Amino acid sequence: MVPSSDSLSEALHGWQVTPPADPNFRQSVWRRIGKQAGVTWPAYLRTNIAVLSFASIIVLTAAAYGGRALAHKQARADRESIVVTYLVDLDPRIQATLRP
Amino acid sequence: MRFLLGTVAVITLLAASTGYVGYRMSCNPALHAAVSKGDTMEWLRTDFHLSNDKFLLVCQLHDSYAGTCDEHCRMIQEATRERDALLAAHADRAALDSANRRIQGLREVCEGSIATHVRRVAELMSPQDGRRYLALVLPRIANFDHTAAPDLRLRHSN
Repeated sequence: MVPSSDSLSEALHGWQVTPPADPNFRQSVWRRIGKQAGVTWPAYLRTNIAVLSFASIIVLTAAAYGGRALAHKQARADRESIVVTYLVDLDPRIQATLRP
Repeated sequence: MRFLLGTVAVITLLAASTGYVGYRMSCNPALHAAVSKGDTMEWLRTDFHLSNDKFLLVCQLHDSYAGTCDEHCRMIQEATRERDALLAAHADRAALDSANRRIQGLREVCEGSIATHVRRVAELMSPQDGRRYLALVLPRIANFDHTAAPDLRLRHSN
């Protein structure tokens, strides 16, 4: 039995679709596109942007901190070294030991 | 896998560059140059941000202190020679104790004199730099007997 066009219109009018939100929708679309077209590097980056961004931030922060810490360590070592030379010239107790 | 390795390589290169920039921005080339040359006055000037005027005053202080240093050095050497002569002559314990006390007394006078001198130098620096300078030198002066390194003889250029 074929429903009348009026009842079909009413049914369509009252039809509401509430699909659940898919958080991986964007990634899965890119994955499907990649499978069809052959994955490129930009596509790979786009697909994994969240993980790569997080990893990059961690690694770059650690590298900047490491560079800074290395410079400070070198400055400390420099000061430790020069202060000994400075006190050798300044301290008669050392001079008394060194001079003939 | 190919893209993963490429991405890791790029991140590694970026990290190396960032580390280098962090190092260059935090390092102190003037300090390092002064240390490489063993130039203690240049170290004072650069590391403690002395203006030309203040630097000249520090140089004058050091020059005037050199005479005091020589005099203290001479007195300690003389007292040490006397003590060594007593030791060689197998002098009695009281005489040796007296000689050792005299050396110790001279060393204490010397320590007070250096401390006064470095405090005068610190007064020519900004309060923050002065505190940092005193924190570097005063403990070493006070702990001389514990910190005098055996290789000081090799480092001395006079």
